[in-house]
Amino acid sequence: MTNSNHFFLLVKISIIAFITGAISLPFSLELASPFWLLPFFSYWVIYSNGKNFYTAAFILGILLDIIEGGTLGQNAVALVLSSAFILNVKKSFFVSNLTTQQVYIFLGSIIYLIIFLLVQQLTQGLNFEWLILLSPFTSAILWPLIRYLLAKLKQ
Amino acid sequence: MRLLKLFVPVLLSIILIVLDTRFSYLDNFKKFTLTLLSPIYVIVDLPSQVINWVNDKGADNEILIGENDYLKSQLIELKARLQTYNNLALENQKISELLDSSYEIPNHDVLLARVKSISQSRLSNKIVIDKGLNDEVALSQLVVASNGVVGQVIQVTPLFSTVRLITDPTQFMPVKNARNGIRGITKGMASNEKGMIVEYVPLDSDVKVGDLFLTSGIGNSYPSGYLVGRVTSIDDSLDASFLSITLQPSQNMNKLEMVLIIKGKND
Repeated sequence: MTNSNHFFLLVKISIIAFITGAISLPFSLELASPFWLLPFFSYWVIYSNGKNFYTAAFILGILLDIIEGGTLGQNAVALVLSSAFILNVKKSFFVSNLTTQQVYIFLGSIIYLIIFLLVQQLTQGLNFEWLILLSPFTSAILWPLIRYLLAKLKQ
Repeated sequence: MRLLKLFVPVLLSIILIVLDTRFSYLDNFKKFTLTLLSPIYVIVDLPSQVINWVNDKGADNEILIGENDYLKSQLIELKARLQTYNNLALENQKISELLDSSYEIPNHDVLLARVKSISQSRLSNKIVIDKGLNDEVALSQLVVASNGVVGQVIQVTPLFSTVRLITDPTQFMPVKNARNGIRGITKGMASNEKGMIVEYVPLDSDVKVGDLFLTSGIGNSYPSGYLVGRVTSIDDSLDASFLSITLQPSQNMNKLEMVLIIKGKND
């Protein structure tokens, strides 16, 4: 894959993640749904040889903050730090079976969630709902499906 | 080197969080970028547009006639109620003239908008509506529905606007008691079910369960007189400086389809 191919794959993945995240769901389902950008971006981190992962994570996080109308930088810092974890386990991730990959995605999502809630608490006070704690689980559960669909997209 | 690569975006993010929370330097950047990204909203909204279009085209003639009859009867009922309102307005005008008061009942322009099926940040209560800069929607405008206040416009793109609901914990609104004019400020609570609280009402104030609170128009940010909510509980424990009043929003936020944007500010 050339550099431009990596870039276009990232653009396609990001657009799909933004659209998926903007689809309106019932209140409870929405809280428990994955932070979509993280598993999508993780796929790109794992299966592409692109560079500048942190810069890409930062820019995509900022764009997500703007689309969501949230505090600028909130998703950016969460995505950068959780993708740092994914990048750290990249070699292991690549050769792991599906269940182990789901565990990695689960841990990455927990990092994302903690940072997201922490920034929320510091900037505007925590508007906490218990159901949001399910989002790392749903990210892990949906990972095989996301991986399958993105593999098709990559071909 | 790798740590430095990680450190720079994290530091930039923290700087952006501080700048965005404390100052408004980045508002134009956000507005411009959101305008560029708004095709994403269009794509997400496309299926519901298609469903609406199919429903409109495929609607049975009989259903439309029935709906038309129902709307006509509603119109007659509302016109009848308006006559009482007109009498009250006339009486108010006469009293104002007698008292040499300059108060006039404001007549605000309104704009009808449809709530779109677009989701935003999961821990905040926001909706997206199908009117934007092209329809002269501006920041801070009040949004109401048939039963009361919905929220305030906080983000505008050419085609869409984002409205923060009054039940959001970061949304504050100056209100007054409809019975005696006692003033306070509402603040949303964690979820719709829990409603809102009214802050800064002194302990010895005359507030009862069932009282209605309206927008007060203080601060010139919102037009006054729109129904916000009904008092559901009052906690007057003496260890606090102010009453703790809980309001149930008069408008059910889960059943919003159409809303009105009030274009004027307080007169």
